[in-house]
Amino acid sequence: MSQMKKIACALALAAGVTTANAGEGSFGWIYTLDLQPKGTLEFEQRLQYNRGQAGGKYDFWQGRSELEYGVTENFQLAGYINYSYVNAYRNYPATSEFPNGETGGWGVSYASDSKYSKGRLEGGSIEAIYRITNPVIDPVGVGLYGEVTLGSMKDEVEARLLLQSNFLDDKLVLAANLVGAIEKVKFVQGETGPESMIDLLFGATYRVANNWTAGLEARYHNDFYGYKFQTHTQRAWFFGPNVHYATKDWWVTGAWRWQPTGGKCWAPNDGECSDGRVWDSHTRNEFIVKFGMPF
Amino acid sequence: MQWKPAATLALVPVAALIAPAVAHAKIYVSVEETQQRLFPGEKLTPNPVALTEAQREKMRDLSSVREPFRGERVWKTAKGDWFIVDEVVGKHEMVKYALAINADGTIKGIEIMEYVESYGYEVGEASWRNQFVGKTSDATLKLNKDIKNISGATLSCKHLTDGVKRLMVMYDLVLKGTK
Repeated sequence: MSQMKKIACALALAAGVTTANAGEGSFGWIYTLDLQPKGTLEFEQRLQYNRGQAGGKYDFWQGRSELEYGVTENFQLAGYINYSYVNAYRNYPATSEFPNGETGGWGVSYASDSKYSKGRLEGGSIEAIYRITNPVIDPVGVGLYGEVTLGSMKDEVEARLLLQSNFLDDKLVLAANLVGAIEKVKFVQGETGPESMIDLLFGATYRVANNWTAGLEARYHNDFYGYKFQTHTQRAWFFGPNVHYATKDWWVTGAWRWQPTGGKCWAPNDGECSDGRVWDSHTRNEFIVKFGMPF
Repeated sequence: MQWKPAATLALVPVAALIAPAVAHAKIYVSVEETQQRLFPGEKLTPNPVALTEAQREKMRDLSSVREPFRGERVWKTAKGDWFIVDEVVGKHEMVKYALAINADGTIKGIEIMEYVESYGYEVGEASWRNQFVGKTSDATLKLNKDIKNISGATLSCKHLTDGVKRLMVMYDLVLKGTK
């Protein structure tokens, strides 16, 4: 693999689809400070679908099965397994090597102009959340999040600063996550690439009726080459709505994020950007469905 | 969009297996039964109240509860005690509760009438509810001040405490001294 292609692939893998939710998740991608009560367990299942890049066809599905446990009132541990399926065909812009469009992006092991599909059991993650202040009783809820992922496609360490404020009898929730991550992306033949990421996620949900909330959320995404955020390689915005339904025995959340134009790449490979949008693991549209069941 | 059943099946697995094992309690108590718990053997007469906007605003300001209060759910005993049914926001649904106030203005007790949530059923236990007994409208009635929180039930504890505060403000504004 050429150095240019390695970098391109590394960038393609940089963003990593790293999302889950603490406790009951009323947002699609934003963590809140709604943790599991001490001594309780919750099962959570999620499925994310990323669809559509520059052209051709690109579908990326990611599943996650998770167990969350409340260790103390303010400390929660979780573990999950990650699996995915990619189906791509000439989804990147044409290049001199592939004049009809290139098959590439997150989950595609090698560049070509052929159809590519593959399912993977990627690996597992563990996460911990510590709630410093509680938004139900404090003006601003603050929490710290840490996650370690080991997998066939990447190893990752991620940290988040979680912020949340509640209003109007706790019916209106404003939440933000400042996310930092470093990733060792794994290529074919054992090669690896150093990546890092800084994201800001923010949004609001409102309880529109008993059991129902609806809201909006956004992601400001930045990728870097190197473990220490050395070279800014990519920037993009995502916006979309969410809806959440919960009863005492289960809950479900659906959300959609759309990538507008205005994104930018500083990568040495044109395939990462076109029409003002960034690709690699990103798509025009992202959908997520999450299901939770407390014990 | 190409249908990929293998990917969609990711939603199914363990959840389906554990679903039957998950069953949580509910609390449902009727108005009549709650009245008998708080005023055993006594006859209660409906005593609806009509609140002015200024009174509602004061109740809202002093308690922070924004859900509208329904004035028709007020009863009185022959001795001048009060029984009030109210609702506050729960995690998923409304929490319905009743407050009993003695004729001298002290809280006789509270009862949880409807509670249908994943967690936090400890608010129905006497040890938590008894914190309110004997307090008057002059009490702070604030969670983590004169009312203790329950780990894992913070939202319910907070809203119920604020709800009781609202009703005591209403008692002070409207019911106190009523013949």
